[in-house]
Amino acid sequence: MKLRPILGYTAAGATVLVALLTPFFLYDFFSKGVVALPLHVDEVYSGGPTVRTIPMGAYSINVHRPVYPHMLQSEKPFVQLDWQPVSALPQHISDVVDIDGDGQPGVRVSFDVPRDPKAPLHVDVDSLNPRYESMHHAGKEKYSRLIVRVDNVILVRVPLVR
Amino acid sequence: MATDARILPLTRPAPRGILRSLLLTLPIFIWSPLMMGFRPGAKFDPVSTTAAAITALFMTVLFYIMMRTNSTYRWRRIFFVSLGILFPIGFIHNLYVMRGSMGIPIEEMIAGRTPFCFMPIPLLILPAAFTRTVIFPGSIASSSHGIAAMVGLWLALTLVMGKGWCSYACFFGGIEEGVAAIPPRAKIRKLDPRLRYIPWAVLLAMVLLSLALFEPAYCMWLCPFKAVSEYVAARNTVGLVQNVIFILLFAGLVIVLPFLTKKRTQCSWFCPFGAFQSIFNKISIFEMRIDKERCKPCLVCQNACPNLSLSKESVARGETLLSCMKCGACVDACPRQAIVWHIKGTQIAWKPERARLMFLYAAWAMAIMFGGSIIAQGIITILHVFV
Repeated sequence: MKLRPILGYTAAGATVLVALLTPFFLYDFFSKGVVALPLHVDEVYSGGPTVRTIPMGAYSINVHRPVYPHMLQSEKPFVQLDWQPVSALPQHISDVVDIDGDGQPGVRVSFDVPRDPKAPLHVDVDSLNPRYESMHHAGKEKYSRLIVRVDNVILVRVPLVR
Repeated sequence: MATDARILPLTRPAPRGILRSLLLTLPIFIWSPLMMGFRPGAKFDPVSTTAAAITALFMTVLFYIMMRTNSTYRWRRIFFVSLGILFPIGFIHNLYVMRGSMGIPIEEMIAGRTPFCFMPIPLLILPAAFTRTVIFPGSIASSSHGIAAMVGLWLALTLVMGKGWCSYACFFGGIEEGVAAIPPRAKIRKLDPRLRYIPWAVLLAMVLLSLALFEPAYCMWLCPFKAVSEYVAARNTVGLVQNVIFILLFAGLVIVLPFLTKKRTQCSWFCPFGAFQSIFNKISIFEMRIDKERCKPCLVCQNACPNLSLSKESVARGETLLSCMKCGACVDACPRQAIVWHIKGTQIAWKPERARLMFLYAAWAMAIMFGGSIIAQGIITILHVFV
C-alpha cells in the first residue's frame, strides 16, 4: 500500500475520532481557547469599563470610561453612567454628576424611577460642561444616547461633543 | 488508472442485509441516547425524557435506513428538514417565554444576552484581528448561547465535516431544503451558473462592511433567517426598514425561489457563511469524486445537486465545486454510480462505501450532538404547548 492512501485513511480515522471526542473534550477545549483570546465585546454595546464610583448614600453612580466609536460606526462618542441598585433609588432622580472627576459638575441627570421594571424610561440631561451634550426626554433611540434598565441598574449614556 | 468496472457494479447495489445494517447502526444506537442525556444519574423529567427518546430513536432509525438502502440524501433530508422546522419552534417559543417578543430590545444587547448564531463568525474575524474587539452584542464566555461556545462548536464540526456543516448542522438550511422538496418538478430549470459566485461577493462585501461599520452587517441588514429567529426590535425607521428587508429576503430566497427551482437558493446564491465554509472543504479529508471513465455526462447529478455545486466543467474534471455540501444527492442520483464518496489520497471508486461510512459516522455523530439537541428542544416545546 502506498503512503498517500495510508495517510488518507489515517486522517479519515482521526476525523471520526475528533467527532467522538467533541462532546466530551474538544468542544470545551475549543471554547476555552476562544475565551482565553485577548478579546472583548465592543464597548458601544458593553459601555466600557467602570473608572469611578460616586457614592450617593443609599445608592451609587458608576462612571464608565468614555467610548469612542470606530471608523464609520454610526454612533457618537458617549459616556455611560449607572445608577444602582434600582431598589434603593428614590422615585425621582436629579443628580449633578462630576463625570471627569475634576471637581467640576459635568451634567445634571434627571429621570423618574417607575416601580414597574418594564415601564419605559425617559431622561433629561443638562450639560454643565461643554464637553457633554444635553438630552431632553431621551428614551433608547441609539446606543450613544439612551436610558435603559438592565437588571438592577439604570444606565444613562450621555453623548460627548465631537 | 485501471478501469473501475471491476471495483463497482454498474447497477445500484442491492439493499444490505438486515443483520449487517443493524450491526453498522449499533454505534449510532449507543451514541444517540448518550448525546440525548440518557446517562447514569441524569435527572428524570417526563417531557424532556420523552423528547430525548423520540429524537434518539429518530436519528437511529434514519441511520439504519441509510445503511440498509445504501442511499444517503433523502434520509438525511428528513433529519435536516425536521431540524429546520423544529429550530424556529423551540427558539421562538423560548423567546416569547423569556421576553414576550422575537424582537431583541436594546437592554438585552447591552446586557450581552443576545444569543450568538454561527452566521456572523466570518464577519467578526477582521475586527477581532485588528482591534481585539468582538462586534457582536453578546457575551464571550457565557455558557449557553455565548460566542465562545458557538465558535468552539463550529470549529469542531468544521474540522469533521468541512462544508458538510451546511447539510448536517445548519438549522436554517433545512427550511429551504424542505420547501424545495415540495414540488415534484422545478418550474425554473435554467439557472445562470454565474449566480454561484454571488455568495463570495456577499461574503467579501459583508466582511469589509462589518469592519468599516463595526457591526455584523449581514445580521443587521441582510439575514433572511431573522424572520424566523430574532431581530433587533424596531425602535425607529431604520429598524423598520431592516425588518422589512429580512421578511422580503426570507420570502424570496427561502420560500418562493426554492419552490420554483428545487434548489437551496439562499445557500447557493446569497449565504456568506456558506461561502466562508466552502474554504474548509480544502482541509476536509472527505469529498465527492466522479469516476471519469464511468461517467457518461448525462448531468443528472447537476440537476440533483441542491446547491449548484456541479458544473459541466467540474464533472469533466471529475470533481465537485468547492461549495459541495456532501449531502449525497449526486451520489444517489447518478444512474451509473460514477459519483462516489472519497477519502483524499485514496484511489477513486476504490471501496467508496468505506469512505461513505467513515464520513457518515463522523457527520451523524455531530448531527445528533448538535442538531439532535435542537430537535429535542422543538419536541419539548410542542409537548409543552399542545400536550
